[in-house]
Amino acid sequence: MTPLLIYQLTAVFLLCIGLFGLIWRRTLVGMLLSIELMLNGAGLSIMAATQLTDTANELGQIGTLLVMGIAAAEATLILAIILVVSKRFGSVELRKLTSLRG
Amino acid sequence: MLTLAYVVLIGHLALILCGGFITVLAKSLVRALTGLIMTLFGVAGLYFLMAAPFIGLMQILIYVGAVSILIFFAIMLTQASSTGEEGQKQRRGKVKYAVMASLAPAIFLGLAVIRTAPPGNLTPQETSVKFLGRFLLGPYVLPFELISLVLFVAMAGAVLLGFEKRIPQAGLETED
Repeated sequence: MTPLLIYQLTAVFLLCIGLFGLIWRRTLVGMLLSIELMLNGAGLSIMAATQLTDTANELGQIGTLLVMGIAAAEATLILAIILVVSKRFGSVELRKLTSLRG
Repeated sequence: MLTLAYVVLIGHLALILCGGFITVLAKSLVRALTGLIMTLFGVAGLYFLMAAPFIGLMQILIYVGAVSILIFFAIMLTQASSTGEEGQKQRRGKVKYAVMASLAPAIFLGLAVIRTAPPGNLTPQETSVKFLGRFLLGPYVLPFELISLVLFVAMAGAVLLGFEKRIPQAGLETED
């Protein structure tokens, strides 16, 4: 097990646990937590792919920084959406977020 | 020195593993958020181990400092308490789909990584922040400006959504 492999498998683990949580969780906030996990895995993977190989280091560092910026923007927007949804439906639980009945 | 590095690596991996499981399985959302923060600290530690202290600090600053506080506000403002839906028992059969959805990319990506990963070098070089800044404003100036635009649009959109007036739903409340 080289360090590169360990890091990449950790990133894959973060992706998997994020996907698992995305299906397992039943509120929008819980799903937001899972998405943050997945984005973290992406950043870790990019960083390990350049920092531990012969590729130019700055590419990975800037890439990870951009992923973090996108994660921050996404979290802001999702917070606003969650607030609007909870104002309109009175709940953020997925089973109650339906307009159609039947 | 190398064994010490491996001990630190395994410690951070344990932090990430425990945090990940707490994040997705905890009954209370606040506890899940604590698990997420644990994972974020673990990943920051891995960045430090990869000789990228600047990105590690940014991880702590942006994720632990900003994003988790934001999520905490989301939890508080929506009153997603543990007595709600999240605390109840899951429907049977759901765990099957969840495990399948998470294992499919795990097997594909894991096998791809194991088969094709180059050996890699053990001692990463540190890049100075000065050089990173020059790189960001030189060849990478377009992504840099684009990310600032994305952040601005996201913030403006969040403000706009927050100010949304109560529009009566068309056809439902206007008739009576």
